[in-house]
Amino acid sequence: MSREEILDRVNKVFREVFDDEDVAVTFASTAADVEGWDSLRHITLIEAVEDEFDIRFKINEVTGMKDVGEMVDIIAERI
Amino acid sequence: MKQYRFEDMETGMTERFVVTVGKEQQEAFYLLTGDSNPLHRDVDFARERGFEDRVVYGMLASAYYSTLAGVYLPGSNCLINECKVAYHQPVYPGDVLTVEGVVKDVRESTRRVKIEGKMTRADGTVVNTAVIAVSFTG
Repeated sequence: MSREEILDRVNKVFREVFDDEDVAVTFASTAADVEGWDSLRHITLIEAVEDEFDIRFKINEVTGMKDVGEMVDIIAERI
Repeated sequence: MKQYRFEDMETGMTERFVVTVGKEQQEAFYLLTGDSNPLHRDVDFARERGFEDRVVYGMLASAYYSTLAGVYLPGSNCLINECKVAYHQPVYPGDVLTVEGVVKDVRESTRRVKIEGKMTRADGTVVNTAVIAVSFTG
């Protein structure tokens, strides 16, 4: 699966978690770019992404991801 | 009070307790919230609308999920992050409810646990269900 294909599925998860069809993230997106992406929502996102791709992140990855691209890279390593 | 830590949690762990939701709780909830809807306070009004009695506030009944998580599963080390409740049947003053929680997901990456809750009348009727996500403070 390409990084772009993973990003498409990540965007689907974001839209579900934020309950907003207009949410769209890019590889460079960070929590500062998405309204409502606070620490609790981040945890919900992580769990939803794990379920979507049937993977698990490590604890240090959950707290250390600097942008969506880094999340996509970790997903690409695990699937 | 239970004091389970995240490391103690396993899927399938179950806790339950029994409560009676009475008129005193109903009145206390009214005083706390100011919800004066007659469905909860006027027997005639409630019966006109097809209910057996005054209907217990849904959010009063579901408040016992706070007790489930905070006292029983996992107990004093938890903080409720989310609680999604669905109401299936009315609860009436005097109903005896069994409040039960079962651990469905233990997530190492986020150190959170998801608990499926349900409240059941003595006759086995499920009156509401919930999904509760908790994190750990200790």
